[in-house]
Amino acid sequence: MIAGWKDLDDTFRALSLLQRGIDHVFDDWNGKAGGPVLDPIRRASRTVWPPINAFETKDSFVYKARVPGLAEGDLSVYVEDGSLILRGECKSDVPEGYEVRLRERVPLAFARTLPLPGRVEADAVTATMKDGILTITLPKAKETLPRQIAVKAL
Amino acid sequence: MSNAVALQEGNGFTPRSRASEREVVPAVDVFENGDEILVVADIPGLPGEAIDVRVEGSTLTVEGKRQPTEQSSLAFVREYDDVSFSRTFRIPAGIDTAAIRADTKQGTVFIRLPKLAASKPRKIAVRSD
Repeated sequence: MIAGWKDLDDTFRALSLLQRGIDHVFDDWNGKAGGPVLDPIRRASRTVWPPINAFETKDSFVYKARVPGLAEGDLSVYVEDGSLILRGECKSDVPEGYEVRLRERVPLAFARTLPLPGRVEADAVTATMKDGILTITLPKAKETLPRQIAVKAL
Repeated sequence: MSNAVALQEGNGFTPRSRASEREVVPAVDVFENGDEILVVADIPGLPGEAIDVRVEGSTLTVEGKRQPTEQSSLAFVREYDDVSFSRTFRIPAGIDTAAIRADTKQGTVFIRLPKLAASKPRKIAVRSD
């Protein structure tokens, strides 16, 4: 056991205090500008995981989820009944032969259902993972895309 | 009249740009075995080159600066901000600081702090005469 471990990091202690007091890990506003804020930490209860951003382009809906540490085999993506469904398990295994000194990245099973804002071409949906961000691109159904009608003068 | 004044900046309304300059503390696991301390940190959304792991004296800092992204005006779900990450640790005694190395994989950083030979558990042979 290394001497001085207890002094390893002041923020560990501050963080534990923060964690005990925190109910709203997803609050964007910590009340004052500046200062470190707790990143939404994976918790098995109370909070929604993974956090998702979604935006619309001319011809598709794009969803991005923050999933650090997840491998492709750990999750499934479905399009069903007008919803996008994310299901999986975040396995943060303790590496073999190691003892745990601090644990914030807890293993977590998740399932999220998000209603889609419009009809999509389910066969053309793609999902990619890079740097811990899952990006799902859902092309809008062709019949919903704006179609310009030619005006003919008689 | 008084309602219009309340909506102006400085009356409790924080401008949006401040949120994206905010720095967050990444979630971290710390493991230890006889040879090293292993620090695992979640730093999603940043490529390996944008993640900075620094040893300065006896402190270790893991940092990732937010990348500028195309601001989409048609966002309809917004649960996270693109933020910068930073966390600093004090390196305990007994670590070979020159041999600290870091790898990134899928948005997670693995930092290995090898222990100096003198700090590793050493089995002492018991001789009986």
